[in-house]
Amino acid sequence: MQSLQLIRLLVGRELTLRYKRSVLGIGWTLLNPMLTSFILWIVFSFIFASRLPDGTQYAPYLMAGVLFINFINQGIQAAAEAIAGNGAILTKVYVNPQIFTISAALASLTNFAIGMIPLTIVIYISGQTLVWTFPLVFVVGFFLALLIAGIGLILSIMYIRFDDTRNIVILLLMILNYVTPIFYPIGILGERMQKIVNLNPLTSYADCLRWAASNNANATLLDWTVVIVTGFLSPIIGSLVFRKFWPRTVAML
Amino acid sequence: MAVIEVKNVQLTYRVLMNRTGSLKELFRDAIKGRVRINNYVALDDVSFSVDKGEVVAVLGKNGAGKSTLLKVLARVLPPTAGSVTINGKIAPMIELGAGFHPELTGAENVVFYSTLMGRDIKKTKAKLFEIGEWAGVTDHMNFPLRTFSSGMVARLAFATATSETSEVLLVDEILSVGDANFQEKSRNRMNEMIRNGAAVVLVSHDMNAVRTLATRAIWLERGKVKMSGDPEQVVSAYEKSFQ
Repeated sequence: MQSLQLIRLLVGRELTLRYKRSVLGIGWTLLNPMLTSFILWIVFSFIFASRLPDGTQYAPYLMAGVLFINFINQGIQAAAEAIAGNGAILTKVYVNPQIFTISAALASLTNFAIGMIPLTIVIYISGQTLVWTFPLVFVVGFFLALLIAGIGLILSIMYIRFDDTRNIVILLLMILNYVTPIFYPIGILGERMQKIVNLNPLTSYADCLRWAASNNANATLLDWTVVIVTGFLSPIIGSLVFRKFWPRTVAML
Repeated sequence: MAVIEVKNVQLTYRVLMNRTGSLKELFRDAIKGRVRINNYVALDDVSFSVDKGEVVAVLGKNGAGKSTLLKVLARVLPPTAGSVTINGKIAPMIELGAGFHPELTGAENVVFYSTLMGRDIKKTKAKLFEIGEWAGVTDHMNFPLRTFSSGMVARLAFATATSETSEVLLVDEILSVGDANFQEKSRNRMNEMIRNGAAVVLVSHDMNAVRTLATRAIWLERGKVKMSGDPEQVVSAYEKSFQ
């Protein structure tokens, strides 16, 4: 009960602080993915738009991809840093530290949810219509938040123990961005690359998201299974690892 | 039943002996089989108990393990061996205002800080005015904390931490918050909490404060209890060790 109250406060705090610091406030959350997508659209639409399967529109494909990868990049970094960043609190007051990681993941989920507004605009502009499955984007978002929280829990131990984890994580995220079909259609890849990209569970998340938003990709039952299984397992494994190493790690804060 | 029961507590910090906390270097050293770990014993076989209404002062030089002991009592650091049992709510008055954020308002900070300490959010919101008034910052509660003077922040933190009665007070050198007037006020509030049956563990370098406040003193040296008992005796023995 008290943990839930604290999570709500932390998410609210995270969001108000982020918006207080920027001139545009919440407008930036709406504008940023649109601008990024617009630039990528100018650069890549000539190359990739014609390579998409029939019935698929490049603009919403790209926009969903950008929102998706922003959520992962920001979410994982925020979740991994949450505990180290609140070390001053955690060495003075007894709170379950995992609450900070979970709250960071949920704050990123809120941003992702806000990003669904410009996505619907782009869907309409591109000539598609929203489909009845649209609310499922929030389900995909929720499982992605769980995945991020679990990864964040393991990383937060490493962030405290090793100063260079941050740089390594940024590098790994960049690689991850390229092995997930964000701005390219998977069909442009060679056969071997396609296999690798399909092994990446994030590809399933992206497919489910695009399918749910405007039937803009194929999501199979296997994709949904991957989403649900990885989403559930990640925080369980993350929490186990975290609790094993935390007693030793807290002394290093 | 004792409010605080500390039994054979040991706390060892593990220190990696490579130069920096770098994953790359650790990896390199691990391949070469050069990872060395040193154990640093901060608390060694510490046992004591604190009853209702008792004020236990912990003395010791820098690095003797005083702050580590307070953190163990606050349940922030889990002991490597031994056990700590605490019956009741803890108000950790260790570097007060650790959860305060300069961009949030006074009221928002009070709510957040209280919730961190495990208090109910509704109860805190109902008490906001009272807390602000007691700290003497009523007019500022809706302004960002960065507009507060440092004295105001400290007063607000103290008022928040003590706004609810707790069974255990852990105090780290904070008897000097604010001006003389506020110090008097805060000391009275502490005394009132002690009279109401709170158990207090106090870390202080101010021997006069220890003599007047404490009912018992524990002298830590290199993580071990060197002496414990009547504060007058322990303090004079401790002071003698400097001569």
